[in-house]
Amino acid sequence: MADLDSGHIFLTTLAPIKGVNAESGTGISHEQRVRIALAQLPTALQSPATQGIGINSPLARNRRTHLARMFVLSDIVYNGRNPQNPLVATAKGIDPVDPLPIDQLSTAYLVFCADVDAIVNDGDPLPHNLTKAQQKAVRASYARKLWDTMGDELQDIYQNCVGFEGVKTADDFAAYLDKCHVETTMPFHDYYLDLPKFNELNTKLLLGAVLVPAAIAVLSLLLRIFGMLHLPMLGFSTFWTFVVAAVVTVVVALLAIAYALRNGAKPLPPAKHDDLPSVLKGLYVQQTFSDFVIDHQAAEPNELHRAFGDYLARHRPENKMSPTQTPGVISIRAEGGITL
Amino acid sequence: MQRSLDLDDIQGNVTRAYGRYAFPFSRSFFLNIQDCGKGRQFVDAVRKKVTTSATWTEATKPRCTVNIGFTFFGLYKLLVPQRTLRDMPEEFISGMRDRAFLLGDRDPGKTEAEAKGWDAHWDPIWQQNRIGDGDIGNDNVHIWVSFNAQLKELGKAEPVDELEKECQWLRDLCDHLAGGVRIIPHNGRAGDQEYQEGSVLFVQRGDKLIPTPNEHFGFTDAIGDPVFRGQLSDAEAKDAVIGTGKWMNAKTGWQPIEPGEFVLGHPDESQELPPIARPPEFMTNGTFMSYRKLHQNVGSFEAVVAEEARTYAKLQAIDEPEARETLRAKMCGRWSDGVPLAQAPTYAEWQAMSEKLGFNVADPVQALWNKLNYIRSPEASNFRYADDMLGYKTPLGAHIRRMNTRDYMDPLNQTGIDPATGCQFANPNATHGLNKRRRILRRGLPYGPPPGAEKTDETEQGVAMISMCASLQRQFEFVQQQWIQYGLDFHQGNDTCPMLGNHHQHKRFSIQSDPASGKPPFIMSKLRTFVECRGGDYFFVPSLTSLRMMAMGIIDPT
Repeated sequence: MADLDSGHIFLTTLAPIKGVNAESGTGISHEQRVRIALAQLPTALQSPATQGIGINSPLARNRRTHLARMFVLSDIVYNGRNPQNPLVATAKGIDPVDPLPIDQLSTAYLVFCADVDAIVNDGDPLPHNLTKAQQKAVRASYARKLWDTMGDELQDIYQNCVGFEGVKTADDFAAYLDKCHVETTMPFHDYYLDLPKFNELNTKLLLGAVLVPAAIAVLSLLLRIFGMLHLPMLGFSTFWTFVVAAVVTVVVALLAIAYALRNGAKPLPPAKHDDLPSVLKGLYVQQTFSDFVIDHQAAEPNELHRAFGDYLARHRPENKMSPTQTPGVISIRAEGGITL
Repeated sequence: MQRSLDLDDIQGNVTRAYGRYAFPFSRSFFLNIQDCGKGRQFVDAVRKKVTTSATWTEATKPRCTVNIGFTFFGLYKLLVPQRTLRDMPEEFISGMRDRAFLLGDRDPGKTEAEAKGWDAHWDPIWQQNRIGDGDIGNDNVHIWVSFNAQLKELGKAEPVDELEKECQWLRDLCDHLAGGVRIIPHNGRAGDQEYQEGSVLFVQRGDKLIPTPNEHFGFTDAIGDPVFRGQLSDAEAKDAVIGTGKWMNAKTGWQPIEPGEFVLGHPDESQELPPIARPPEFMTNGTFMSYRKLHQNVGSFEAVVAEEARTYAKLQAIDEPEARETLRAKMCGRWSDGVPLAQAPTYAEWQAMSEKLGFNVADPVQALWNKLNYIRSPEASNFRYADDMLGYKTPLGAHIRRMNTRDYMDPLNQTGIDPATGCQFANPNATHGLNKRRRILRRGLPYGPPPGAEKTDETEQGVAMISMCASLQRQFEFVQQQWIQYGLDFHQGNDTCPMLGNHHQHKRFSIQSDPASGKPPFIMSKLRTFVECRGGDYFFVPSLTSLRMMAMGIIDPT
């Protein structure tokens, strides 16, 4: 469930890159070609050098992507021999001179990760929870959006990946990316303005549910050991009370653990103003409003009132879609920094 | 029992800010090694004179101190084994010029091509530094030798005669080595000075020149240096640590910072030994140093404060002199005489406190004495920010709040107004958790024109800034990059430090206001770059053991 958290999908996909011998030809491996295609992909206009190039990241052509990253995972890192207790190894007859097998990936992978709004239509509010099918629909909708806005670039990159040959349409790409999808285990979220109500565990209740039958079991056992065959007043057999209470303890404990794990896996609610259009609008308002404040320091009330009215009319803070900061630029002062 | 540091093995400037120990004058010489053998002879001669951290009495206190440090290429020239050199931290190997981008010396708003000639305003000695590593015909800085001298006579701005004697000894030594090691005589703006001079600022009082703890913008400087374990005797440390060590909790109180933050080879605040090159003896008890010549644009500073003060005075309904003093204090975090805003948030409170502390008495020597007593007392340092998370007293982006965040960054701090009291949350349990790994030792002195001379942007004045720490990258560079040249940790976005920051792009500084005062916040928006680097480099300040190993050429990393 960790793909979805705080109203965002933390998408992780791994597409296997074709092997060295899969196709003969130019002497450039597919892994090399993916690296070349990625190197040619422009980054967002977020540093002086990239601003100088002037070509924005194709991922900035949509208003769902908060962050995205594509890279080649060549192989896993070799950490050396597995450490082991020398006494145990000697007893087992393991010769430390014999090399151990080295774990390797069967192929290189193209990894594509993105933090995107968990929505199917631009501007929708962020959801708190989604079923598996709904999450799949969100992923497919995002994949189609990517295909519609950066299909050529995707073609360049993914044509070096296994099984991409048949991908011709947005729907094909959505299906392909879904095959590459792996569940995210550690999403990262950085937007909370106010902390929401987290899925707190009622530990007292859970502990009580386990400890009460456990206490009855222990008590019954002790009474049995000290020779009491029946519980006073109730008259139940101490042995059977012990057995039943012990079974109940184990069952409740297992249920409590399962409940705690499920509670931990629940997605957190989205933060206020957490979707990309709101974030961009927030940046826009922050910049325009601080200029407004500086320009009107020590202004007369009437003038301030009139000017603020003009400000609201011009910048429309209530409309998150426009005017706003363009995705992929560092400030509204950058060239093309404002989307009207 | 806690094992104490081997003070005899640690150079004296690591544990002592000489300025505070009545050494108001300094001279920094920068030297070039042409010949390894002569270089070793040089190190052997200097090491016998090096002032250590050993405890001194009035009788044994030197009149003039001697200390030494090496750039990476200095160690390279002395044929320190490559295996040792390769274990050195990358920022030390790269040097300050290469790190200009992250230090804010090179405009981060320009590409490498656009920034060509970015160091044109550096002093010639630093412009010509780190150009190749050939033997002949370059002026790369390899060695730094510094002398700090006592005052000859109170009332005059003159160092003791021993200072010139030591300088002459250095010149004679270089002459004797016949060019194998030579002094690079290109210091200063015009590149015509043999050494970089440093001196505390003196003021004319009647017929006397009185030393002050001020810098050129008129603020009291050098107050809150960190105190670390083993630096001082237990008796001295007891008071010294208040406000300058780390605040643990109400029960344990102020504790000295672990020595590994400042002296290599000792455990640091992460409960680990900082990484050092092999052999361990080479770096143990040594430290790293950043030398930066920081020019101060006094004219710009005065002009900007005066201009902003006009709007501020109108907005706050106060007169302009009060507005100027208040803006200056808000930028710094302390009033000009060193009283922290955290203790005296308003002009009236400050005036009352200065009066009480005797800063304005008629006798200038007594006034200085009162001031020195105050800034060296725990009162001047014993304050916190966690009870002012909204910056009503000390603005969130103020200079001293950025340099030493104290307990402000404790992640458990509550921000806002406590409904129970109507005031800000007191956060009594806040600790120095995220601050204690970013501290640096400040060992520099101001430089500049004689007392009474006019100061503009063009006149040469500033601070020959020396920062010492175990990791230049984790401590010095982090503070410079994240806290001076950036403001996110203080909720200031890209706004840089109002005093030290680069203001070519980011010209704003927000001054928060307590809504209870009925006064609006104020945003200074016309800041210019008031402090500019004029060059510098990174140095390794070895232990006495290490100096001996270098002199003998017996560093065995195997």
